[in-house]
Parts: sequence; C-alpha cells; structure tokens
Amino acid sequence: MSNLVVVGLNHRTAPLDARQRAAFDSAGLVQGARELGRIPGVAEAMILSTCNRVEIFAHVAAAHSGAEALKAWLSASSGIPPAELHPLLYLHEDDSAVRHVFRVASSLDSMILGEPQILGQVKSCYGTAVNARSVGPFLNALLQSAFRTAKRVRSETSIGEYPVSSSSAAVELARKVFGDLSGRRILVVGAGKMGETAVRHLRESGVGGISVVNRSVEAARRLAERFDGIAGDFSLLGDLITTADIVITSTGAPDILIDAAMVGEAMRRRGHCPLVFIDISVPRNVDPGVGGIENVFCYDIDDLSSVVEANFGERLRAAAEAEKIVDQEVRAFAGRVRSLEAVPVVRAVKGRIEEICRSELERFMKKAGTRDARQLRELESMMARVAAKITHPLLEELRHGAGSRNETTLAELLQQLLQPRKGKS
Amino acid sequence: MIWTLTLAAALYLIGLLHSLFGFYQKRPIFMRLALGMVASAFLFHTLFLLWIGFTRRHFPITNLPESLSFFAWCITLTFMLASRYRINALGAFTLPLISGLTIVSQVVWEEHHIIPLPLQSGWVYFHAGVAFLAYAAFFLTFLFAAFYLIQEKKLKGKHFRFLYFRLPPLQLCDRISGRFLYLGFAAMSLTIVSGAIWAEQVWGRFWNWDPKETATLISWCIYLFLIHYRLSGSWRAKRAAYISILGFASVLVTFGVNWGLHAFL
Repeated sequence: MSNLVVVGLNHRTAPLDARQRAAFDSAGLVQGARELGRIPGVAEAMILSTCNRVEIFAHVAAAHSGAEALKAWLSASSGIPPAELHPLLYLHEDDSAVRHVFRVASSLDSMILGEPQILGQVKSCYGTAVNARSVGPFLNALLQSAFRTAKRVRSETSIGEYPVSSSSAAVELARKVFGDLSGRRILVVGAGKMGETAVRHLRESGVGGISVVNRSVEAARRLAERFDGIAGDFSLLGDLITTADIVITSTGAPDILIDAAMVGEAMRRRGHCPLVFIDISVPRNVDPGVGGIENVFCYDIDDLSSVVEANFGERLRAAAEAEKIVDQEVRAFAGRVRSLEAVPVVRAVKGRIEEICRSELERFMKKAGTRDARQLRELESMMARVAAKITHPLLEELRHGAGSRNETTLAELLQQLLQPRKGKS
Repeated sequence: MIWTLTLAAALYLIGLLHSLFGFYQKRPIFMRLALGMVASAFLFHTLFLLWIGFTRRHFPITNLPESLSFFAWCITLTFMLASRYRINALGAFTLPLISGLTIVSQVVWEEHHIIPLPLQSGWVYFHAGVAFLAYAAFFLTFLFAAFYLIQEKKLKGKHFRFLYFRLPPLQLCDRISGRFLYLGFAAMSLTIVSGAIWAEQVWGRFWNWDPKETATLISWCIYLFLIHYRLSGSWRAKRAAYISILGFASVLVTFGVNWGLHAFL
C-alpha cells in the first residue's frame, strides 16, 4: 500500500514567529528536498513553504516511522527544538493527507478563504521539488490531481468571485452600477496612498481616464502622471465631478468637501448619468446625504467593510460546494493510486510472457533450423501477436479494473498463473 | 408528433431546474447546462410548430393550447436573444413561465379541432404571431425593469445580500430592458397595422373600438411615451423602469380582454 504523510504547521496551529523560523527560502527548498530524499524510508518528498504554512508531503514506506523521521528533520532544519515544535505540527496520513493537499491547493485551508495565490505557490514549490528530483510517480500523480481539483473548484464554484479586500469591494460596487467599467472616468480626490490602491484596482478593470485633485497640485500631478491622468486643485472639483463616473475621496481633510448641493448641480449638468462615490477617508469627505440624490450611489469605508463581510459569507457557501468536489477527487485519486500500483504487476506479467515467447522461438529454431529470414520474421511476429492477444485483455482488466473491488485477487491470480515454473519453461 | 412538444416541455423543465439551482448556488456551469437544455427544447418546439404548420395546413395559433404553446415559444425566442448578455438570473425568472405554458399546452392539446370561421384567414398568423412576440418582448422589458428597481434598492439601501449578488448591474438591466422595449414596440405596431387591414377586409372598417383594440392602443401609447422618455436624453432609468411596469400591467389587461370581436378562445 502507498503511504502518503503530510507533516506541517500553518497559521492555525503555529504563531507567526514559529512559521517564520520553519519557512524555507528558494535555496532552502532545493537543499531540503535533497536532504529529505536521503532519509531512509522516504521514497518521495516535497516541501510547501508560504508565509502561512510550512508542510512536507512525503511518500514513505511506513506511515508512523516516516512521520517521526520527517518531524525530526523539520525540527533539525528549522532549529526549533522538538519539544517546542511538535505541539505546533499536524499530521495527516493516506486519504486524510490526500484531502489535505487538495484542500490546500484549492485554497480551502487558506487564512483568507479562496485567495488565489496559494495555487501558484504550490505549483512553484512542486516545480522546485521536480528540479531537485525529490518527487516520483506518486507525488506527481498527487500534485496533478491537486491542480485539477483546484481548477475545478475555481471554475465550478464561485469561491473566487467575491472580492474580500476593501479596494476590490469598491470595484465590485462600481460594477454593480455600471456593469462594464471600460471607458468609465475616475476622479480621485486626495493624493494619498489609499486612493492610489483603489485606482490601481480600478485600472485593472479597464477604466478610462483618471483625474486627480488635491490641495497641493504638485502631489496631484505626481499621482496623475503615474496613471496618465490629469491633475487639478480643489477649484476644479465641481467640474470634474460632472465629467466623472466614479469619484474616490481619500484626503486627510477633517470636513465635508463634497456636499449635496455640489453633487445635485453636477447631476443636473451631466444629464443625471449615474455617479458612484467611494469615500475612503476618515472622517468622511462626502456628505452621506448625496446618496439620497437619484442615480447617485455613495459608499463610505464602513459600507466597503460590509460588502467584504457579505462576500465572505458567499465564499463560505461556495466553500461547502468546493468540499464536495474535493471529496470526489479524493475518491478518484484513490482509484488512480490503485491502478498506479498495478503498473509493476503489469510490467512483470508482460515481461514474463515475452520471455516465454522468446525461449519457445529459440527452441523451435534449434529443432527446425529455419534459416529463411522472411520466415523467421513471420514467426517472430506471429509469436508477438499471440503474446499480445493473450496479455492484452488480462492487462487491460488489471489496469482499468484496478479500481474495482476484485483487483487484488485478480492481480494475485495473474501473478500466480504466470509464475516461472521450475524445470519446465 | 406531439412527442416533440412533450420532449420540449421536459427539456424546458430540466433547464428550469438547472437554472434555479445555478441561480441559488451561483454555479456558472449549471447556467450553461440550462442554456443548452433550453436551446434544444427550443429546437424541438420549433420543429413541432413547423410540423403542425405543414401537416395541418394552419399555423398553430388557432385555439387555446396552440396559443399557449406559441406564446411559450415566443418567450423562449426572447430568452435566446437575451442569452448573449449572460444574465444568470434570467432563466430562474422566465423558465417557470415557459415550462408552465408548454406543459399546460401539452396536457390540453386537442388533436383535431375545427378552426373557427373568422380565423380561417392568412392574416391571423401574422397578426396573432407578432402580437405574441410583442407580449413576450414586453415581458422581458418588465422583468429587467423589475431587476433594475430591486438592484437599485439594494445598492441605495446598502443591503449586500442574496439578490444583490445575483441580479445584473443596473445599467445592463436598463440597456436590456430598452432593447426589448424596441422589439416589443415594433411588434405591437405591426400587430395594430395588420389587425386594421384585416378588420377592413372582414368588417369593412379599419378600427372598431373593440375592447382588445382599445387596450392595445393604450399599451402602445404607454410604450410610445416610454420610448420618447428614454430618448429625451436625461437618464432617469428608475422612472423608465416604473413606466415599463405600468406598460406591462396594461399589456396583461390587453392579453386578458378576449371579448367583443376578439372572442375566439
């Protein structure tokens, strides 16, 4: 039987300090993979190291002793004494280990549920292990299945659809009003860092022109240059609101900069086209009363938080669906492992039958002594055909039927049938 | 050959289940499956209509079951037209009606019925055909107007819950509502014109102030006003949505008024 063990620590089991000490840099990953490969009883291994988790996936001869060896190695490599390290570690074996790997790759075990970076991190750690030649057929199959699972979770559930950062929540709100954001004009009020983050997110959604107003025109110009936008001072505010579709305010100003009268006038001039205010400054710079004007949608930082909260709720719903996909893939992988285990048997059976054919042919040649090259070729190919015709259905059955409940008996039966017999070949 | 209608009804129903599930769970794959089901149902439904048309030598719109089936076909046609916008909520709100109409039509189907004498005319096919198409298009106008109002309420009230996630963006609702408004208006205008010509041939007068005629005229005027309002430049989608709903209420009255000269069903 194959023994997969996963030993590791993550944000739930270990404090940041311990995670940092246990983490591997890229050189450490290569070195670590080589060292793991030399541990007796460890056939294949790879290390996954991110800022939230350090884990070793290993294919070992015996689960218990293998896990102990991995724990000891992790303690040695991180420099954390075993007594301190062991309570922080979790251990998964066999199906539970497979499930764990799939859940990690699908971002179901992440600190921020459904965040997309983890899949890339698993891929790059796997790549490192492949280059270090510490993985073999088992871990290859496991990781391919993990990637497949993650891909299915992405495409079949909506787990990644709900943004969970404030600035992406702002983009989402704008999308709920405008649909497509391409060509929409943005006005940024205040040249601070927060506003810049929000603008960057909006830029990724393909918005059009950007203008920046700030008390100091110099700072406005610096930010505007970065986004090929135009800059101005507060005297232009009313005009720029008239031409913008999305207004982001993030100034340090302690008072209301944009009031209902200003927005009402702008709305009249812009023919009542919808206008979205995202006010991320504290205290507020936009009078909440502007939200009462038709076609004006005004959100402050608390509203963005409640969008994020709601999105988390939706992610949790999607995660329940994702767990079902993981279940299916864990079962499918168990079947694949069984057929993987059938490979050596298949190879042995095939080799044995070909050997019989060869020796029979040699015997025939000695007795009959045909020298005709054409006849010889015919005979050879006839033997090969006979061999293939006998072995093919048996081997197919062994390979594909390997998932069914009779697979061990069938494999054993075939092996017994084709054991080399003494004295008679 | 009634089996094609049965099959279409079954496929609509399966499509409905998929789209309800996909709507609730927000699983895009179920939406695609639902669209596939509806597309194949639509194909069988079309085959059925053609078959009736060729073998019975009349377009199937001459009694109640036929009309129900054809109305379902028209709504499906608009559904297929709208499918390019990829609105996940659409199926969950149109397919119950489509499936219901098709199933009822299949159940009460009459194999051999006598076509009422006034309907034995080529005009009925065109006149009633475009009328049903207009009703179907106005149904979608109404639906997207309703989506608009609900989503607007969610966005203004900051209720970031179930429907907020599942209904389309505001401007998209408004745009699609507008598209079907134009389609419906064109179809309704053709209905009135063809009806008038036919009336002139049968009764000698273009316009008879029959209740259905009057109701149609009122609906047509409401939609004409809505089109002018939309084209006037000032973007007031919320008011446009309310007028669309008013217009659809008038269409429902028009649909229901089947006495006077229109007492066939």
